[in-house]
Amino acid sequence: MVRRFAFLAALLALVPLPVSAHGPSRQKVIEIIEINAPADKVWAVVSNYKDMTWHPDIAKSEAMDGYEPEKTKRTLTFKTGGVVTDKVMAYTPETKYFSFMTDEVDLKTMPVSGYSSYFTLTDMGGKTKVEWKGAFYRGYVNNDPPPELSDAAAIAAVTAYQKRGLEALKAKIEAAP
Amino acid sequence: MLTVATGLFWYGACSAVLSGSAKTRTATGVREAFVTSQLADALSIIDLASMKSVAEVKISGRPAGIAVAPGGKHAYVTSPESKELIIIDTARRAIVRRLQVGRGPLGIAYSPKDNRVWIADWYDHKILVRDGDTGETLGEVAVGKSPSGVAVTPDGRYVLSADRDSNSVSIIDASTLKVTGTVTAGGHPFGITIDDTGTRAYTANVTSNDVSVIDIAAQKLTSTVQVGSRPYGVALAQDRAFVTNQAAGTVSVIDLASLGVIATIPVGSYPEGIAASTDQRFVYVACWDDNTLQRIDAKTLEVTATASTAEGPRAFGQFLQ
Repeated sequence: MVRRFAFLAALLALVPLPVSAHGPSRQKVIEIIEINAPADKVWAVVSNYKDMTWHPDIAKSEAMDGYEPEKTKRTLTFKTGGVVTDKVMAYTPETKYFSFMTDEVDLKTMPVSGYSSYFTLTDMGGKTKVEWKGAFYRGYVNNDPPPELSDAAAIAAVTAYQKRGLEALKAKIEAAP
Repeated sequence: MLTVATGLFWYGACSAVLSGSAKTRTATGVREAFVTSQLADALSIIDLASMKSVAEVKISGRPAGIAVAPGGKHAYVTSPESKELIIIDTARRAIVRRLQVGRGPLGIAYSPKDNRVWIADWYDHKILVRDGDTGETLGEVAVGKSPSGVAVTPDGRYVLSADRDSNSVSIIDASTLKVTGTVTAGGHPFGITIDDTGTRAYTANVTSNDVSVIDIAAQKLTSTVQVGSRPYGVALAQDRAFVTNQAAGTVSVIDLASLGVIATIPVGSYPEGIAASTDQRFVYVACWDDNTLQRIDAKTLEVTATASTAEGPRAFGQFLQ
């Protein structure tokens, strides 16, 4: 019993604390796509906090009502089974700007922490430029990360995630009647 | 982080010496900004008169913290990833020393009174004390968890660290290297700045979205002021505190007499390091996401100039000289 407890304590000591992570260096990734549809139509999809299943990685999307910064929260279930929770950070329909930030991230699904997404839509006269900017830390919040939780791993994962998302968003909207 | 206030004091104390210098100062009393551009692994040096980048010093290890005193011959930079203190010759714009320091050096302050450098070690929960010329170890002080910002009182007697994960501020006696008091702050205090009389300290609290006002002599939290989302650093000018709100992309302006927020200035995306010119005319803000340094008129509260920096400017500390 004592031994088991000691093992558990040792195990717990290895788990990073779920603090708002601030490893030494925040990273950024910007992905941009042009969608052949009016900005209002794109905004309707992008700004729907209740449904992010337009992203091909996401199986289920459940959110609270509203858009209150740091209060309105969401749970995203990925097709891998991993779960990520996030919250609204900014929502400005007037300028078509929307941002949310992760709380808890399943590191196997995405090797990041404190991942903020910023969507900015620009009307290009019938077409829309969508910018998805990510600002995040690597998954391992202490020094000397293992390779799978390094800055490079986080940048690669976020780049691929945002690319896949924007391509699917474009395909979905352009295919819609 | 050496406070803006300390910078003011120091410049006042040595301005006679500086007037003979070959270098021309602007009317603002500071000439250059030393901006740690973390993602570029570089220090961007911005000329404040022209608001143009005039030099770039490559520094590996993801430089973040910076301390430079107006008129000082050295700039001090921390690189958390390579765990180094980097000493830079400000005139030659060259690295003169690189030293291994602790496990996660982040915040840094310079004390011109005794030529000592104070470095917050994020992972070892200590303040490391180093010589300002040689970088040699002079001591260390155990503080709260994950110290981030660090600041020295203008008289050099006290050093304060914002201990992020303890939600508190440690007050260190600079002569005995002992913690003489611990003051509870808001949620995750990050940047810390001391006023020019050494009376008050201000912390930017990242998770509670507020600023703690601390009476240093009484070792007490006296007020809490709500600001914008994810505050990072504080600068003082014109009897006002200027607070960068990272997630909001704004600077909150607090009137120091009433402790009310009198303005919220839109700036670039992810504003982080912030510092005031010695004459208090301008406040300079590093915008991490936009790769810019913006100048705010401390009286009119407008952004009046923007300079480009290298990628990912943080400028965490007193970065003006």
